[in-house]
Amino acid sequence: MSGVEVRGLTKRYGTLTAVDDLSFTVRPGAVTAFLGPNGAGKTTTMRMMVGHVAPTSGGVTIGGRRYRDLPRPTTVVGAAFDGAAFHPRHSARNHLRIYAAMGGHPGRRVEELLGLLGLAAAGDRATGTYSTGMRQRLSLATALLGDPGVLLLDEPGNGLDPEGTAWLRAFLRELAGEGRAVLVSSHALGEVQQVADDVVVIRRGRLVAAGALGELAGAAHVVRVSSPDADRLARVLAPAARAIDLDGPHDLRVHGLEPARIADLAAAHELRVHGLAADRPSLEELFLDLTGERTDA
Amino acid sequence: MRPLIHAELRRLLATRMWLGTLLVAALLGGGLIGLLALVGPENFDPPMPGLHTEAGVRAVLGFLGFTAFVPAAVGTLALTSEYRHRTITVTFLYAPDRWRVLAAKLVTYGLAGVVYGLVLSGTAAVSLFGAAAARGVTLGLPAGTVVELLARLGVAMAAYMVLGVGMGALIRHQVAALCVVVGYLYGAELLLVMIPGVRHLYPLLPGGATAALTDFTAVADALAQQLSSEPVRLLSPLAGALVLLGYTALASTAALLRPLRRDVA
Repeated sequence: MSGVEVRGLTKRYGTLTAVDDLSFTVRPGAVTAFLGPNGAGKTTTMRMMVGHVAPTSGGVTIGGRRYRDLPRPTTVVGAAFDGAAFHPRHSARNHLRIYAAMGGHPGRRVEELLGLLGLAAAGDRATGTYSTGMRQRLSLATALLGDPGVLLLDEPGNGLDPEGTAWLRAFLRELAGEGRAVLVSSHALGEVQQVADDVVVIRRGRLVAAGALGELAGAAHVVRVSSPDADRLARVLAPAARAIDLDGPHDLRVHGLEPARIADLAAAHELRVHGLAADRPSLEELFLDLTGERTDA
Repeated sequence: MRPLIHAELRRLLATRMWLGTLLVAALLGGGLIGLLALVGPENFDPPMPGLHTEAGVRAVLGFLGFTAFVPAAVGTLALTSEYRHRTITVTFLYAPDRWRVLAAKLVTYGLAGVVYGLVLSGTAAVSLFGAAAARGVTLGLPAGTVVELLARLGVAMAAYMVLGVGMGALIRHQVAALCVVVGYLYGAELLLVMIPGVRHLYPLLPGGATAALTDFTAVADALAQQLSSEPVRLLSPLAGALVLLGYTALASTAALLRPLRRDVA
């Protein structure tokens, strides 16, 4: 199955640069979490992948071709965007039948998906009466009509209850397990942390990190420092560190500096260090670090 | 293209709007014409020539021409409702070549317009002949000519439905598109032709083209009477139909140049 190649993707609206020279890859057989705070440019990027939004420069290929050059795009790529895109008076069954006809997908696929996504009982109800969770599932069903090898899901966890979130995680794992390339955007890392193999993190339209989740988590240094001179030490370390949290009157958590460098800087300024321990950060902290959402000390 | 048309037909039949629309066609065709024929044009206020005259039959059938805003409005919804409910984003995933979406809708609504026209004209024929028989009046036009006039009206309805699709593609916003299409058909064109000089363009305007297509010259005659003695010459019926289709082509092309290409979200 094919993956997604994003190369130098840029979108400008007047003077605002929504997506800035973005490059990354989504590989088959894995769930890639596409992370960033709200407004970082995730949705715009995903819309450019499928031709909804025209890039200012750069581009996206899927299995080597642009979306619009795919002969039957919905058999290659399935995409679901945040928010309902159904006629409120159409039933789920009718909605899926219309698009099955449009994509030339067999009618039995509609029934299959209604069953798979737990919508069989509500299949004849108008979508206008659906709950958020049901709408998310109908969006997923629409994306899956052509049994595509690439799935682009924009915030599929939005508005789901805990049960729905757990179901979604298992479902995404299953889809990747079948060899599909699954890209899932989210503004909340916790939602996708347990299912993501890879992560792509963007901030203000720019790539800040991309890679295997395990590697990325390992690469971030957080060091616990206990020092009676914590205040002064924080000022000394501040220019070199990515961020420093005050963890109490004598404790610091230093991001982005190795222990040896911290010890050297402390020694150079004749500051006392009583404890120095590398701390494996939680992914959430890493995410906040990378996206700049942490309130820096 | 065939899957797209198939899908559009499904979309059209997915709600009961099609049933309501055909009901309106039957009410306007059968109901309105039946009522006018039963009352008789000679009893209108002001009185018009009776059904036993050619002018009387043409006048009664001509009223149907004023109902073209109904199919035009229905056609307008083809694309605007997709933008309104954001299904356009899904549709463009299935058909990234956006012109194909518009083409499929033009074909589908062309077919739907023909069905609408058939129902309108068919029910109108039944009630006109029925009312004449009930009143014991011999129509002032041979049955063949009446049927031909009604068939032309049916074609005009189909043309208006397709024109509505093009206008909806161009304007995209549902309420705005409806206001423009219905507002134009209902009044703007008449105001337009009151501007000196513009009157001569009337045969080339949608209303004038419809009048040519349906041989209904009341508006043109009234214009000639009120504004000058010089009569306005209408196009031939075929040219009238082509002018209507030309407006559709114009609106569709304009839509493809810019509005349909815009980013969707």
